[in-house]
Amino acid sequence: MSDSIFELVDNLPQKNVTTMMLKSLDSIVPGEWENTVGFVETIRKVTGETDEELIQQIGDRAVWLYNDKSQGYRRAMWLYQTVDRSDKALGSAALANKVGNKIPLVGGLLSKITPNPEKAQALDLSIKLVVELVAFCQINGIPGDSIGDFVGALGDYSGESLMRMAALVCVDGLIPLGPDFILKAQSTLSGIGPKDLESNSTFQGVSESIPGGNSKGKLDFIGESFGSVKGWMTDFVSSKNLSPEKVVKNLQGFLEFSDNKLDYVAAFIDVSTNYYEHTGTQTLARRLIERAFDEI
Amino acid sequence: MISLRKYLVALILSSCLLFTACSQQAPSRFDDAQQQSTSKGATAVVDTSQSGGTFNRYFPDGNSQYERIYSQEKKGFAEAKLKVGGKEIAILSISDTSNNPSAIAKFKESSSKISGYPAVTQGSSGTAVLVADRYQVKIRSKDSSFSESDRQAWLSKFDLRGLSKLK
Repeated sequence: MSDSIFELVDNLPQKNVTTMMLKSLDSIVPGEWENTVGFVETIRKVTGETDEELIQQIGDRAVWLYNDKSQGYRRAMWLYQTVDRSDKALGSAALANKVGNKIPLVGGLLSKITPNPEKAQALDLSIKLVVELVAFCQINGIPGDSIGDFVGALGDYSGESLMRMAALVCVDGLIPLGPDFILKAQSTLSGIGPKDLESNSTFQGVSESIPGGNSKGKLDFIGESFGSVKGWMTDFVSSKNLSPEKVVKNLQGFLEFSDNKLDYVAAFIDVSTNYYEHTGTQTLARRLIERAFDEI
Repeated sequence: MISLRKYLVALILSSCLLFTACSQQAPSRFDDAQQQSTSKGATAVVDTSQSGGTFNRYFPDGNSQYERIYSQEKKGFAEAKLKVGGKEIAILSISDTSNNPSAIAKFKESSSKISGYPAVTQGSSGTAVLVADRYQVKIRSKDSSFSESDRQAWLSKFDLRGLSKLK
């Protein structure tokens, strides 16, 4: 397990199931996400600078900032990694020989997958959204002096952050839960108790970082957070004219499946990709590099 | 026969070596920073540093053409984006150099000034001033339409005098 920020960014894959999935969603957020990998390459892309001495200074300062635990970057990285790792039994290794062409989601591969019950899926979606909110604050602080400044910063998502949110809406919302995924998630959240939350494996992984004290408080926090981002998600879906059918067409760019197997598609993506960790690492590196250049 | 066995043993041993070597991460130009910053007591931000929130009031306001969006606020550091028509054209920041004292050195070698404060250009995209020998105010272009003279003009729009009195 890599511990340094430069190794984490250097080790991001150029191509695997995660990047194929994200690329298939490009037309939903056109041109926003480019799979920039490698720490030095990321410094060059983010800053536009080419002077090696300057790149060294920026990278060194970024390494220092990342390693200072009080700065929140490590916690944010842990969150992105942990929320994506609850079950990766069918990881890249099993699929390595299939990468290059479309992955056929049929026969043997299909039998290895178990779709998540709707309640678990709705909870996963809500918890991932809360993780994004908490990680955002760990990485950026709470910018500005007003709620408006903060909401403005949140609404300013672009690049790999916007792609992460697009993927969340598509593969953790529309595909497993259907067009009314927001309503379903909300009714799940209001219908469950702290015990249900505690038994969810995604929650178990990240529980300690979710504000609220006990499980009841955390459940309330998840509900409130979901409520506050609901408007943004609704706007996103309507402005992009998104539907499960549209997302299916995108996903069929890298995955072969029949239209009546959407719950299997969602489960397959869940166990074979780590798009939160992948794009989260890219987001964190970008913010860290921006700050490092400002401070040197 | 013996030589074949020797050959095989050598081959296996060297494969093992190669395999072990490949599974290690290659040395990096950032190894020194990694080692120093993870040694006991190392810290990137000092306790005596100003809080980031105290810097917000010294930033220039946006206007009908330029949108200013605060983007980061951490101890000793505040940052905002400048956008025109939804497009990011520059990054504005104030940082407390007590967290990174080596940042001051470049100003000592410079004779240019903005609003009376020592100024430098940095790389191809940055311009900065040093206020009260402590606070670095920097603007970085994110789009070629935002030139060096734009950076200089926007630097003078910060409340640099106010910032110079911040203790």
